[in-house]
Amino acid sequence: MNEAEILEKVKEVVSEVLGVDKDKIGLEDRFVEDLGAESVQSLELVAAFEEKFGIEMDEEKALEVKTVGKAVEFIKEYIAKK
Amino acid sequence: MSKIEEFVAEVKNLNKKVVFPEGEDERILMSVSELLKEKIATPVLLGKKERILEMSKKLGINNIEEIEIVEPENSEFFEEFINRYCEKRKNINKSVAEKIVKRPLIFGGLMVDTGKCDSMVAGAANTTANVIQAAALTVGFSEGIKTPSSFFIMVLPNGKVYFYADCAVNICPDENQLAEIGIATAINYKKLMKEIPKVAFLSFSTKGSASHPMVEKVQKAVKIAKEKNSEFDIDGEFQVDTAINEEVAKKKMKEYSSVAGRANVLIFPDLNSGNIAYKITQYLGNAQAYGPVLQGFAKPVSDLSRGAKVKDIIMTTVITCLMS
Repeated sequence: MNEAEILEKVKEVVSEVLGVDKDKIGLEDRFVEDLGAESVQSLELVAAFEEKFGIEMDEEKALEVKTVGKAVEFIKEYIAKK
Repeated sequence: MSKIEEFVAEVKNLNKKVVFPEGEDERILMSVSELLKEKIATPVLLGKKERILEMSKKLGINNIEEIEIVEPENSEFFEEFINRYCEKRKNINKSVAEKIVKRPLIFGGLMVDTGKCDSMVAGAANTTANVIQAAALTVGFSEGIKTPSSFFIMVLPNGKVYFYADCAVNICPDENQLAEIGIATAINYKKLMKEIPKVAFLSFSTKGSASHPMVEKVQKAVKIAKEKNSEFDIDGEFQVDTAINEEVAKKKMKEYSSVAGRANVLIFPDLNSGNIAYKITQYLGNAQAYGPVLQGFAKPVSDLSRGAKVKDIIMTTVITCLMS
């Protein structure tokens, strides 16, 4: 899976969990400040990414990811290890 | 009998069921054994049964067989809880919910949410943020409350009891959050102490004796809290001496206040002042501090310090049971 495909899937997850328009999600967007995520939703985002990509992430490290772009990079590493 | 001894005596008649999601923590195992022996509560442990039994044997716990142990993924409630989670969180589909619900903190929260347990005590192996997150996602907030917060029960050497808030969760609450903290603490004061709460919002100013945005924030919080709740005596802004000392209150107050000089619930303007105040009361005033007790949730969920000892876990459980 290349980076563009990962980004597309990340956008799908973010759109579904946070209820934001997929087309308005950008690489630089921060989950909380720009996309309106409540802090309690971080756990749901992590679980939704795991489910979408079939991976198990380090929860503590995953919760440190604050932007869409960083999420793509983070997930890419896990996919490469699969 | 001290207030704390009264709490313990009272809770023994209530037969409350408490879920402990960190069932594989040694301190939790020793605590639940004690809770059962002393008939304080009926504990439910979450975790791998085999591991818990093995640990209990090593620790010399002889009543573990009497305690209900639940493995979230193998539980008869697992499917029900997945559906419940999806019902509460509309944007989450079933397969994502399955990943979330198998987490002990979330599963425990759902046991409370669905009435299978009365309350949850966690935090021996999880951060406060994780416990608050689980509580917010499962039991949710009390009506009119959007801000989770905490309070301490401060017992002075002369037996006098004060509730302090918020000394552990909200770093710099705005006026709305501060008002919510005041109301939530008042509700819990009444529930636990069975007395009318007299809530003082504290500042470095008494009724406009100083002008500053920090004072204005407290003044606004008092106004909001009074509008939201007419049941309790709420007033401020007060300097702490005006709030708790009748002689000082008589001198400084130009108007009548049912709270000034008689406050039993002290609301601090931010975490700096709250945290400093409770530790000064504890260390210089030789007071006993019980907490932080989480509040603002629809049903009681308590947080433990990760350094909590068995006696802390037992006391937190006692207070949590009295809140349910």
